[in-house]
Amino acid sequence: MNRIRVFFYATVLWFTNANLTFAQTDTVAVKKDTLDYYDMSLDQLLKLKAHGVPSELEKLINSLISVASKKPLNVRESPSIVSLITEEEIKNSGARDLIDVLRLVPGIDFGVDVEGQVGIGVRGNWAHEGKVLVLLDGQEMNEILFATTQFGNHYPIEQIKKIEVIRGPGSAIYGGFAEYGVINIITRQAEDINGLTISGTYGQMEKDYGRRNANISIGKKNGDFAFSLSGMIGQGQRSDQTYTDFADTSYNMTGNSSLNPKYFNAAFAYKGLSFRCIGDFYDTKVGDGYGNVIKSGAVIESFNSIFYELKYPIQISEKFTLTPRVNYKTQTPWLSPSYDQKTAYNRNANRATGNLTASWNINRHINFVFGTETYQDKATDYTDSSFFANRTQHVSYFNYTFFAQGLIKTRVVNFIVGARYDKHNAYGEAFVPRIGITKKYNKFHFKALYSGAFRAPAIENINYADSGGIRPELTQVLELELGYQVTRKSILTANVYDITTNNPIVYYTDTTNADHYTNSGHSGSQGIEAEYRIKDKWGYVALNYAFYTVANKGKIHEYEVSQSSSSLLAFANHRLNLNACWKVAKGLSLNATASYYGSRWAYTSVDSLGASALEKIDPTFLLNFFVKYDTPLKGLSIGAGCYDILNQKFKYIQPYNGGHAMLPASSREIVFRMNYNLNFKKKN
Amino acid sequence: MNNTKHIATLKKLLLVVLLLRGIYSGNCTAQETDYKAYTLFIYNFMKYVEWPEAQSKGDFVLAVLGDSPITKELQTLASSKKLKGRNIIIKKCNTPEETVGCNLLYISSSKSASVKALKEQTKDKPILIVGEREGLAKKGAGLSFVTMEDDELKFDINKKEIEQHQLKISSSLLSLGIVIN
Repeated sequence: MNRIRVFFYATVLWFTNANLTFAQTDTVAVKKDTLDYYDMSLDQLLKLKAHGVPSELEKLINSLISVASKKPLNVRESPSIVSLITEEEIKNSGARDLIDVLRLVPGIDFGVDVEGQVGIGVRGNWAHEGKVLVLLDGQEMNEILFATTQFGNHYPIEQIKKIEVIRGPGSAIYGGFAEYGVINIITRQAEDINGLTISGTYGQMEKDYGRRNANISIGKKNGDFAFSLSGMIGQGQRSDQTYTDFADTSYNMTGNSSLNPKYFNAAFAYKGLSFRCIGDFYDTKVGDGYGNVIKSGAVIESFNSIFYELKYPIQISEKFTLTPRVNYKTQTPWLSPSYDQKTAYNRNANRATGNLTASWNINRHINFVFGTETYQDKATDYTDSSFFANRTQHVSYFNYTFFAQGLIKTRVVNFIVGARYDKHNAYGEAFVPRIGITKKYNKFHFKALYSGAFRAPAIENINYADSGGIRPELTQVLELELGYQVTRKSILTANVYDITTNNPIVYYTDTTNADHYTNSGHSGSQGIEAEYRIKDKWGYVALNYAFYTVANKGKIHEYEVSQSSSSLLAFANHRLNLNACWKVAKGLSLNATASYYGSRWAYTSVDSLGASALEKIDPTFLLNFFVKYDTPLKGLSIGAGCYDILNQKFKYIQPYNGGHAMLPASSREIVFRMNYNLNFKKKN
Repeated sequence: MNNTKHIATLKKLLLVVLLLRGIYSGNCTAQETDYKAYTLFIYNFMKYVEWPEAQSKGDFVLAVLGDSPITKELQTLASSKKLKGRNIIIKKCNTPEETVGCNLLYISSSKSASVKALKEQTKDKPILIVGEREGLAKKGAGLSFVTMEDDELKFDINKKEIEQHQLKISSSLLSLGIVIN
């Protein structure tokens, strides 16, 4: 009897399940729909998709990105391992800053550098100095003295439209700061803003505020003319915890770890001609210097940059476009106004770049992009007593580049072949080729990629080079990605990679705390990244896992962990991330994000002989929750949530043996957010 | 006792079956070609291409060469719509020879290799050849479908070929497609 019952339930369930599918093709409904369908206008035909009305997931995975190829390709065929983060995901998650967004990307992590600054790591490798390029609306954010980018309440998270992350090399397109990755941030442009947007965020940690930021954007596209003006001003704090150095000296980070951004972004376009200017002024307050607590108290550390770009694509013919572009940026990073400007580090650097890029679409299936770029770097020291290696207070360098890329799409596979050649007057040549094969076959896709990449020594790398000089470090990366669209609403992707870097540029300090750079040994990592993503009208769930090992790779003494052959300092071998959204009612969404960090290794003390001692740090689980509500008042949305619900009090670890103790991040932080859009006119 | 074990085993089996069923139905619903969209395009080709006077009377015969799910969609179209008062007849063909006498010839992907032979066979005859596979317009079809990078469905137009078949294509259809010559 029981068997019969089980069989009955199985049969019912089987057909219930089947009927769910059949219900979509109900004859009557289809007939009515079809009749309407046949009466569509020719204009409506233009909107038809070859594979039917795309699901929410298909809209995402079929969206076009050009970060990996210059020529727009869909995410599944783009010739790099790519993560695409949308404005919707950022806003729903309540992310406080880029760290919250990027730590959910497989393989991306953060560590502490000197002077309290937090930098990025990729696939187990410390990438803070010139190994990951951060682009904001096409402008290279990395400062050119050390090539670093600072994270923590820095960039205007609420103005971002999307972020395209290349989790692998990008040098063949982007040059010497894109060796391990590219983070391409695209903010809301004139047509996206189409009016006025104001927003504000307040975050409250256990003991003090975490951030209080305000944003404003105004933009409009009117025929051939478009403009947008955006600004952000804010105050934040890295932590409300206590930092303790190796000598057991402490300072309270509350009130002493400011992260205060000021930012503007102005863009004008008329027909093809476009001009952009971005100002980024980031003041931080740090009490930990090179690791030891600064006895005289926390000091201001400023990073100031202004970027300009003028660009005009010239359509030579239907198939051939020539784009001249000029960029200029001036940067004063690592400036300490708290100290005497005549004695403390006080250097400015600027870069003038000219670029000419040609894009030739021979036909729909063959595209060539080629061009040349040249830049001049100039740096000036404004102190009374310090000099560059040339024994003057001015240095100037010159670099020229040739690049070419061919993309051939066939019915069987897509081929991409490219190369970039750079020649710098101080450190010489770098040549990086890349070859990629990608294709999607309905539900399945694959990418097989080989990339050469390099890290260009920045101005101070040259300046502080050992007597033997400094050379670009060269990297070779192999990547293989497989993806399978399990249903119209879910996709599984997984990739493996192998990174080998020869003669990496390594930073170290000597006994007098003086900076040094040298090319030394070999490094790299191997690993697996996998993601399962479900997306539908009810919301989405993205679960990803990242694993790296350095067991089969060369080790650099400053980064290695003597007790573990598979780990590098600071970065967990195993990472798990969750990003989930449930749209419970119209305009109301409940969002959870979480990051699991496996064990990490850190230097946490010094022994009696002055040698740093390693410690295995227990796994950490960061859990966050955010509720977003689009109110009935048109354009107004509000949100509230809690970051680090479990109050794990995450700590950033220094990824090299530089004498810096773990840097506390914020404690549990309650976040409130408001966003108001006033549209000038309804978009067409 | 044995009965309980059996039930447990059956329950496990049931779970596996349902899981497999879930995966199976999932596979069925992943991105598949939407032949309804193709059909709509073809219906508009029929409306916006002008046949010579002699071929503008009687039934409109649409031949589908090769096995393709589009046949079913075209039959739905034929059962619910007319072309300027004319009945639409769908003729399923397995060989090029069977297509003789049609007004519109649809070459399904599996029969793409036949395009050159069909070009010869239909030379100067008022037949509109539509290719399912991209690139067939370059090889002798009048129109062929193209799936763009973002999955948008478009079509190539071989205007010269269409005109050689004594057909006239309207300017509005021309502006919608991609003219290759």
